[in-house]
Amino acid sequence: MAIFNKSIGIRHLVCGSCNGCEHEMNALAGPDYDITQHGWDIVASPRHADVVTVTGPMTEAMRVPAQRTLEAVPGPKVIVAIGDCAVGCGVFAGSAGVGAGACVELGATIAVPGCPPTPSMIKAGLLRAAQALGGPSQPAARDDSMSGSTKVGSTRCTSERAG
Amino acid sequence: MIKGEIEVGPAAVRTAVAERLEHGSALGAYASDRGVRYLFIEKHGVQVLSARVDSSEPVAAVSGTCPGLSWDEREMADEFGIAFDALPDARPFRPVNGELAPAVVATGPGVTQVVVGPVHAGIIEPGRFTFSSGGETIAHLDFQIGFSHRHLEQSFEGADPLDLAPRVARVCGACSASRSLAYAMAVESISDARIADPVHIARQIVVELERVYNHVFDLAVCSAAAGWGFGQAVGLGLKECALRICHAATGHRLLFDAIVPGGVRDGVLDDREEVQTLVVMLQESVEQYVRAIFDNTSLISRWSETGTLTYDAARALAVVGPAHRASGGLVDVRDAAPYGAYRWLPIVAAREEGGDVLARCRVKVAELRDSFRIIHRAFEHLGSRRLNRSAVIPPETGDTVTVVEGPRGAETVALTVRGTVVERVHFISASYRNWPAVAHATTGNIVPDAPLVNKSFNLCYACADR
Repeated sequence: MAIFNKSIGIRHLVCGSCNGCEHEMNALAGPDYDITQHGWDIVASPRHADVVTVTGPMTEAMRVPAQRTLEAVPGPKVIVAIGDCAVGCGVFAGSAGVGAGACVELGATIAVPGCPPTPSMIKAGLLRAAQALGGPSQPAARDDSMSGSTKVGSTRCTSERAG
Repeated sequence: MIKGEIEVGPAAVRTAVAERLEHGSALGAYASDRGVRYLFIEKHGVQVLSARVDSSEPVAAVSGTCPGLSWDEREMADEFGIAFDALPDARPFRPVNGELAPAVVATGPGVTQVVVGPVHAGIIEPGRFTFSSGGETIAHLDFQIGFSHRHLEQSFEGADPLDLAPRVARVCGACSASRSLAYAMAVESISDARIADPVHIARQIVVELERVYNHVFDLAVCSAAAGWGFGQAVGLGLKECALRICHAATGHRLLFDAIVPGGVRDGVLDDREEVQTLVVMLQESVEQYVRAIFDNTSLISRWSETGTLTYDAARALAVVGPAHRASGGLVDVRDAAPYGAYRWLPIVAAREEGGDVLARCRVKVAELRDSFRIIHRAFEHLGSRRLNRSAVIPPETGDTVTVVEGPRGAETVALTVRGTVVERVHFISASYRNWPAVAHATTGNIVPDAPLVNKSFNLCYACADR
């Protein structure tokens, strides 16, 4: 089973994104960035997911569906915030009409900033998620995954510009 | 771009709109504290029909006779408290306290309902589709949005019109350059700023690149939705090439912030030779891709007579853009009311009659080819001329409506400035205009074709929700 440790299922959650991050996420299914070569897939149900990617500053109407989606994902799971809006609201920071960013509101532990981040940056963020879930290079994260802790509600958000 | 404004009483709105529709197509309607405005694209510009709001006299709703304006009127009722006479669908337009209004469903023996969304099984924005189907056939589809509503228009009020440009560029990622252009034109129009010809030409290249990457992407997702993996892979590869050209041309893969009030951002089209070379390479590959598509008999068969939108339905639903032109429509804003470089570097408008997925793809193929032609011609006219930015000083007051032809159709910006700040700004996106037509075109098709019909329009949610 060890060789499948990093074959993550990814569920994508859009919380008020402008669709820019979605265009770059879509490239992951194309031949240039093809994530299936790593055994990764965008899955059709939260029940099949290990990683939830979130975009957007968070809107009123997405708060409940977003929480329900996260609750439907079995542990261990990792939440990855994609794009400046999710990480810190980007150009909409401080606007009364949006939330605090999906990263803070949903407790993402990996942040991929950029407006939008490039597909390569997103892929690097997903690689960190895969390592956090099962990779031998991240023993601390592995302990987390073994305990089944979900980190929902955590506001810890490590920001790192991925290559 | 306002060519005329007519004012009528609230009770006369319905009749007056019906009269204007004889001359042109509806762009949409919006409210402000000053009243309601209905906008039409006509030859040479935008016609405005306005009515003051009077608490004793409701506005005669148009959506009974022009159902395409139903979303606009519901939004006006919700957000500005406009009282309408005979609004056929009076449900709240967006979720209230996070809850959507109940969906409209078909009922009867053997009819079942399936709700899809707001979170979808892919990399898709949030929206709720409620299908009523009898067996495989879709009897009714109610599509409801609002999950990406960021209260952008309200939050833009009171801002300096120049400071707003980066946020306008991020109303929607997939039509950012077109909206930035319409917004820049609006600010420049009320400021009486004169834009130099080379800047107009550079902007034409930028917005045509946006059309190229979107249309190639649409062909890729229509291939995917018909189960043709090769077409999807090739199309996504070509879209990636297009995005890299966008980056080479503007420093941003999705063209964000390339067009700003007064001109274009520093660095745009600095390396023209490189961009031109890449465009030639992409064009050759796109031609091969198009040949592979039309050589694929089973794909064409799947695209034919699927998701048909008749001319009459498209007109009643006020459909814009390639979807309008695929159903026999004649309006392309670049041609009907040319702006910027389109005034002297014109387009060749595409048109099909079928109204199905195939017709929409054919229109996009024709437009792709024309975009390449426009880009090459623009580079010739641009030569090595410098792209100097003009000074833009917004005056105390001003009001305008601008509209450009984005990849999905008319992208409209209505801007009112008072006391040097934005009093009201309203965005009518082509996606907002066309979503009701997606639901209409899906009805009568089989459930497995719903994604294909949807992808043949390939609309955004972000600019419809704002």
